[in-house]
Amino acid sequence: MSFTEKGTSPGNNVSPARLTDDPDACIWEYNSITKEVKWSAGFYNILGYHPNEIESSAQVFFEHLLYYQDKHVFLDALYQSRLNQQVAPVPIRLLTKNNGYQWFESRIKNPENSYNGTIHGLLVNINIYKQESITFADKQFMHDEAFRIARLGSWEINPLKPGVIALSNQVYDIYDIQSRLEISAEEFISFFEPSYRVVLQQAIDHAIKLCRPFDTEALLRTAKNNLLWLKVKGIPVIDNYGHCITLKGIIQDIDNEKRKQLKLEQSVNLLTDQNRRLQNFAYIVSHNLRSHTGNLQFMVNLFEQTDEEEERIEIFSYLKTISDSLNLTIEHLNEIVKIQTEITNERSVVELEKLFKSVRSALKNNIESINAIVEYDFSQCTEINYIPAYMESIFQNLLTNSLKYYSPGRQPIIQCYTLREGNHIYLIFEDNGLGIDLNRHGDKVFGMYKTFHQNTDAKGIGLFITRNQIEALGGSITVESTVNVGTKFTIRLV
Amino acid sequence: MMEEEHPISTWIVDDDPIYVYGIRKLMSFRGANALVSHFPNGQEAISQLKNLSDEYQLPDMILLDINMPTMDGWEFMNEFAEIRPRLGKEITVYMVSSSVDLNDIHRAKNIPEVTDYIFKPVKGTHLTEIFNIAQNRVNERLKKYGT
Repeated sequence: MSFTEKGTSPGNNVSPARLTDDPDACIWEYNSITKEVKWSAGFYNILGYHPNEIESSAQVFFEHLLYYQDKHVFLDALYQSRLNQQVAPVPIRLLTKNNGYQWFESRIKNPENSYNGTIHGLLVNINIYKQESITFADKQFMHDEAFRIARLGSWEINPLKPGVIALSNQVYDIYDIQSRLEISAEEFISFFEPSYRVVLQQAIDHAIKLCRPFDTEALLRTAKNNLLWLKVKGIPVIDNYGHCITLKGIIQDIDNEKRKQLKLEQSVNLLTDQNRRLQNFAYIVSHNLRSHTGNLQFMVNLFEQTDEEEERIEIFSYLKTISDSLNLTIEHLNEIVKIQTEITNERSVVELEKLFKSVRSALKNNIESINAIVEYDFSQCTEINYIPAYMESIFQNLLTNSLKYYSPGRQPIIQCYTLREGNHIYLIFEDNGLGIDLNRHGDKVFGMYKTFHQNTDAKGIGLFITRNQIEALGGSITVESTVNVGTKFTIRLV
Repeated sequence: MMEEEHPISTWIVDDDPIYVYGIRKLMSFRGANALVSHFPNGQEAISQLKNLSDEYQLPDMILLDINMPTMDGWEFMNEFAEIRPRLGKEITVYMVSSSVDLNDIHRAKNIPEVTDYIFKPVKGTHLTEIFNIAQNRVNERLKKYGT
């Protein structure tokens, strides 16, 4: 090993220093007893100096070259080497002549067995790599930050081990899980609400087996019991044979947007409903009120055209009838307006049996006059949170309807019962009466002033009101009927 | 109008008794030479049309309401269009309604068998006009065929 002695070149001496003295690396020697420092030519070179341009001393190194913050790192390494411990390379910054501080890797060799106080070290310029790694760390940080802010987590499933799922940290954050314990694919799905579990499991299975990507929204119940809407996406990576080799996916917290969207949809539905009621209202005004006012005008004109007392009396009696009809139509309009205002009323628990019995006893005379059997069974749902006035009106309209349109050929049987299916509660109203020809009148059954029988007291207002009340509370009503067999109304209450 | 003229056989198809009373009265005030029959809905009128074999009993003119129970004016027109070629007489149909709904008006005007759409309440002058038209047609037919 040869070192420059006060700047004199080693000449043609072939030494290991030549191998290490490339533009990016150099070696040094330090004698801890004599405090003598020797630098290889490359040492000056990598710092941008000519040999001998600066003094090779410990003082120059520590006071002028080594960045003050890196001193302790270097000294620690030096100390460890003297204790003959294994020393890991450390990064340090040294001041170059022209390019400011640059990063170097410092390796310190342990003293040889025949200890004479001499320590060897190697310096390698790692500035490019260090800066790249710093840039990379910056980018990684920004990247992680972006994912954290976007509440976006990624997951990955290997089709060979479909039970295992690899999750990014953000998934744990979204799930409100503190630890980073491994969880299985099944556990990953089990955090979603029951109805979404099947959908997700199927989507994952299809993505793996059929290479079908998916993009869906699902409701998550986090470890802290918060409900959160997530976007769940999975994209299969396929090999040259078209088989899925990994399934990569993301989950993203879209709770805010989703809830806003749901609210918006609700408002749109409400608006559509209200708009339809308004249109109905306009229809009633244009058809029914107009027919009365037309008649009124008609009779007044006739009244003016005749002088005969008898005719005038007759015309006047019609005028009275028109006045009554006009009044009735206004009352009906009022009932429709009432639906709108009553909707803001508080809902309360309605005991169905009690209410039905009271409606039935109010219609006792009608029931007895046609010897009808009126049965009920509310065992599947005994009570419901509803606007009591609506429920009473629904019972009354449907029962009156069945009683009115009974078939004279058989004993009228009317049945009312509740059904529970999934999250919904249904009220069924069935009779064996005249029935309605739904092929002809299907679209008009719940319309206003639509009557289908030659029945003098048919007003065509009951079912219209009933439908409006049910729909105002978010339910729906459908009808099945066969002429001369009977009619069945199915009402989804909630 | 002269008494010896052939009367116009007029069918009123309407469920509103007040209107029916009114239109009959108006016809008599206006001296319309009419032979009036009344049907409370489309069903009864169409059955009658199908049953009549004698063309003398068929109407010259039908005043048809739209909103009626059992069979409304639209349904009546559907069936009427089907049986019309088999009827041995040209029948003029007016749709008469209080509806000012543009949908109703357009729909009526798009039915080729409907001659016109008349708003309720029917004006006396309008009634006279359609009766004059009907009378002329009947007179022409009488001249041509003698029936």
